[in-house]
Amino acid sequence: MPQIERSIVPRKKKKDQKPVFLIVLCVVLLLLYIVGSNEQTLGIYLTFGIAFGFILQRSRFCFAAGFRDPVIVGSTSILRAIVIAMVIMTITFSIIQYHSLLQGIPTIPGHIYSIGFHTALGGFLFGVGMVIAGGCATGTLMRIGEGFLMQCIVLIGFLIGTLLGARHFPWWEKNFINEAPSIHLPSYFGWPGSIGLQIGVLMLLFYLLKRYEDKHNIML
Amino acid sequence: MAEIRIDCLYEACPIPLLKAMKKLKKIAVGDVLIIETDHSCAIKNFTEWTQKNNLPCEIVEVDNGEWEIRLIKR
Amino acid sequence: MLDKLIKEPWTYYTGAVLIAILNTILFVVIGRPWQITSGFTNWAAWIWRSLGGKPEQWEYFATNPVRAEAMTQGFFTNTLSLMDFGLIIGALLAVLLASQFKFKKVKSYKQVIVALLGGIIMGYGTRISSGCNIGAFFSAIPSLSLSGWVYGIFVFLGAWLGSKILMRFLL
Repeated sequence: MPQIERSIVPRKKKKDQKPVFLIVLCVVLLLLYIVGSNEQTLGIYLTFGIAFGFILQRSRFCFAAGFRDPVIVGSTSILRAIVIAMVIMTITFSIIQYHSLLQGIPTIPGHIYSIGFHTALGGFLFGVGMVIAGGCATGTLMRIGEGFLMQCIVLIGFLIGTLLGARHFPWWEKNFINEAPSIHLPSYFGWPGSIGLQIGVLMLLFYLLKRYEDKHNIML
Repeated sequence: MAEIRIDCLYEACPIPLLKAMKKLKKIAVGDVLIIETDHSCAIKNFTEWTQKNNLPCEIVEVDNGEWEIRLIKR
Repeated sequence: MLDKLIKEPWTYYTGAVLIAILNTILFVVIGRPWQITSGFTNWAAWIWRSLGGKPEQWEYFATNPVRAEAMTQGFFTNTLSLMDFGLIIGALLAVLLASQFKFKKVKSYKQVIVALLGGIIMGYGTRISSGCNIGAFFSAIPSLSLSGWVYGIFVFLGAWLGSKILMRFLL
């Protein structure tokens, strides 16, 4: 690949931010201690949040980009990574659910929600919102941590939107949510069937996404 | 061999790449396009896209959280 | 070598695998998988209350034991609030460690309006579908809930429309 000649650009002096990192880390550890000694679960939640934030930022993981890039630049790399994560979690979550079932616990743990117009509209609105705002829920939080003041505004929007949604929720419940079915795959396909089916679909999706990326090279 | 700069500071991730793609069409072969961005996701966008299109791409971190992406039009 | 760990970005696959494992551990430890926007709702409700509102009397909060309890708590005493706050902190720590932190101001008024609008639309959408990209999608599909797939498909469609709007008005 041909070399690019570097023009003489005055370089700004980069500051080593590791000292700031250490200070923030100390504050965080102190906070963890205070919160955790109040109630242990609080400390656990805070720790997980920090871990998620760290990993997401380090890998520049952005769901909004994942859904948007196939359309705008023909890239499916993030979406494929999400698929891989789903494959792993399908296996692990199923084990957790099945284990819980074996213990005789009546409600199946996990996020099992009803399907209806509210699901479709909710998803659609989220899709539109995240692309125009430049980030999803995790992306917004991640970028606030990176210093983007814009995402603080997005968060304010989030607060307004969720509050309005909560206010209107009873209407949605009465008209759509209450009558809508919840479909937990194992009750239709059995456990091995559901796991196999879902992983199969995910693998197929992975293959299709790879094909799409190879074929589409959008130069605008 | 001209050097064209695009200032994409404070702009969210698809914008730098989209602006670059647009500008790349207009400049002459051999020209260097420099995109200034402070969006960490944008860097990945560029590395993937330039790799796919076999475009030489150089990324220089010029300041804390600020990068210059240099592309050369073939 | 250390550079790769703290400065250069990790691959998407690395991030994905780590997040998947972390979500699994979270599920085991707290009994439910990762979710984000319920924490936002709590934040919003508490702010509303400080402005004189009475969200704890709303049906949404009053009739659900978890949400009702959240209304009695605060920023540092509610689990979801702390997990969301932790996300911001985790990202901050990551950029500081790599010396890549920078305050990025807003460039134009157009951006402000779009950001606000985007946030409001997303926020509303999360309440009617009981979650966001994480709660209703990332954690729902592995829970073998068909709703996650339906949600995901519509998010994709929305993202398509959003991309068209973005290209038309913001480029």
